[in-house]
Amino acid sequence: METISPSHYLFLALCLFSIGFFGVLLRRNILLLLMSLELMLNGINLALVTFSRTSLNLDGSIFVFFIMTVAAAEVAVGLALLVALYKKRQSVFSEDMNLVSN
Amino acid sequence: MEDFLRFSNDNLWSELWPELTLALGAVLILLIQLFSNKAATNICGRLAVLFQVVLLGYLLLDYLLIHHTFDRSSFSGMLRHGFQGDLMRTFFLLASICVSILGNRFLLTNKLKTGEFHHLTMLATAGLMLLCQSANFIVLFVALETVALAFYPLVAFDRSSSKSLEAGIKYLIFGALSSSLLLLGIVLIYGVGSNPGAWGAISPSTNIGMDILSFEFVGLLLEANQTNLLLRSGVVLVLAGLAFKIGAAPFQIWVPDVYHGSPTPITAFLAVSSKAAGFFLLLNLVNGPFDSMSEFLLPLFGFIATFTILFGNLAACAQRKLKRMLGLSGVAHAGYLLVAVMASMHFAGDSDRAVWVIFFYLFIYLFASFIVFGVMGIATLKDDSDHEIGHYEGLLQKHPWAAISLLVGIASLAGIPPFGGFVAKLMLFNVAFEAKLYTSLVAMVIGVVISIYYYFGWIREICFEPKPHFDDDNEPIDPWTKMHQLGLLKLLIITFAVVSFVFGIWQGPFGDAF
Repeated sequence: METISPSHYLFLALCLFSIGFFGVLLRRNILLLLMSLELMLNGINLALVTFSRTSLNLDGSIFVFFIMTVAAAEVAVGLALLVALYKKRQSVFSEDMNLVSN
Repeated sequence: MEDFLRFSNDNLWSELWPELTLALGAVLILLIQLFSNKAATNICGRLAVLFQVVLLGYLLLDYLLIHHTFDRSSFSGMLRHGFQGDLMRTFFLLASICVSILGNRFLLTNKLKTGEFHHLTMLATAGLMLLCQSANFIVLFVALETVALAFYPLVAFDRSSSKSLEAGIKYLIFGALSSSLLLLGIVLIYGVGSNPGAWGAISPSTNIGMDILSFEFVGLLLEANQTNLLLRSGVVLVLAGLAFKIGAAPFQIWVPDVYHGSPTPITAFLAVSSKAAGFFLLLNLVNGPFDSMSEFLLPLFGFIATFTILFGNLAACAQRKLKRMLGLSGVAHAGYLLVAVMASMHFAGDSDRAVWVIFFYLFIYLFASFIVFGVMGIATLKDDSDHEIGHYEGLLQKHPWAAISLLVGIASLAGIPPFGGFVAKLMLFNVAFEAKLYTSLVAMVIGVVISIYYYFGWIREICFEPKPHFDDDNEPIDPWTKMHQLGLLKLLIITFAVVSFVFGIWQGPFGDAF
């Protein structure tokens, strides 16, 4: 049986990041957009932890804590804004976000 | 007490006193807002301005007279302080004072709570100051996110307006996307850097106690592996994340929408402080850790700068809303500054001249922007974000002081002599010429000509008599009615107009760059 090597983790991290990235580009629902943003950050976290673990260097692991904190703060602000916007516009779809345009 | 002193001395916390004081002041403002009754809420605004003015005064006194500034580092090399960082601190504090003054007017007319606005503005400024001292990618990321997280609610501050909220959401999504790209770049660099096989000539003895994510180590790493594909993509991704912040094409999509929807003081804040921080960081990176990648980066920068200048100016021509026009014109300004960044990469070892030109340009841009946004903030419209050129017709007859200041601001932005903007652009052309960036130079000249065209439409509207309206059955509302009790805002606008004029004639120590 094949063991799980760092490259497997890195491949998973890249997959997570790509899913998130294309989610941000393609999704129409802003809630899902915010989730995709989180997914990107999770992919990055996984890659950092893998690098940190294979090289036994702690910088990466410490960085992960900062990224997690920032991700939580970002989503808190994002959801608050989305709730306020939903109350006004009754929609969470990006095609309805067309007030600020030419 | 002794433990505390040792703790403070070990990490040189005192080096961070301006940031710490500002953040403390921000918390204080929030507390005062919390415990004060409704009638006294305006006190927060005055207090915030006073606090920042005192801090700026003390900061200048400290640098100029008491502790002359010198290069030093603190927190085990995570932060680096020096003259340029101190200059940027002054810059951000000045911009923050202006935002607070503009904000007071905006909050008063829209009947919004003052405490939170000033709290967030001051926190964002503290983050910006920290950002410019960072010498480690972790600190860079944390400071960048502090700024971004303070900016998202500020952009969406007017919660009664759907436009403001929408701009806030858009800014959040694009901002988070850009910081993810930046992070991916940092991860790639870290991945290579954590592998001892890639250290090459960096002998193990110099590595002991050195952070992989510090600018110094990354610089050595890039020098040892100049053609490594992973490192190259890492560098490009980090720079792409920064390009989002400064609004360089092709990452400028968010600029017009966010500038359009956000409250006028915050538009000014974004245009001046956020962009300046991005440029200072870019300058620090390309002349610091990414120095050995210059040959690979220069063609890329050349393309981006040319594209940004032409796109920004051409797109600005087509805008009817003034804020969108100013935003896109800001994109073009980012393009001009990118050319100066390229010039600083060309002068290897002697990048100082190009750096001084960038500083001068940023200060002139600050003065001009706050004049223009200040006058825009005075106008009372039904919807704050829908400034159009038509609102300004005949301003010269109605309120000469506002009109003349606005004209000075516009002329300085467009680069019409004899104002500061003209001299700043001339200096920029000069360094670009010396660095032999002829293609970018041609793009800059074309860009400036186009920008004079669309600014001129605005100037014409301000200067000439209002046209008689025949077919309108309802009289157009005059936005220039509430011109009394401007106080500090009037002082600010007139002072900056005078300063812009003076810098057009006399540049002081900056003039040596010629």
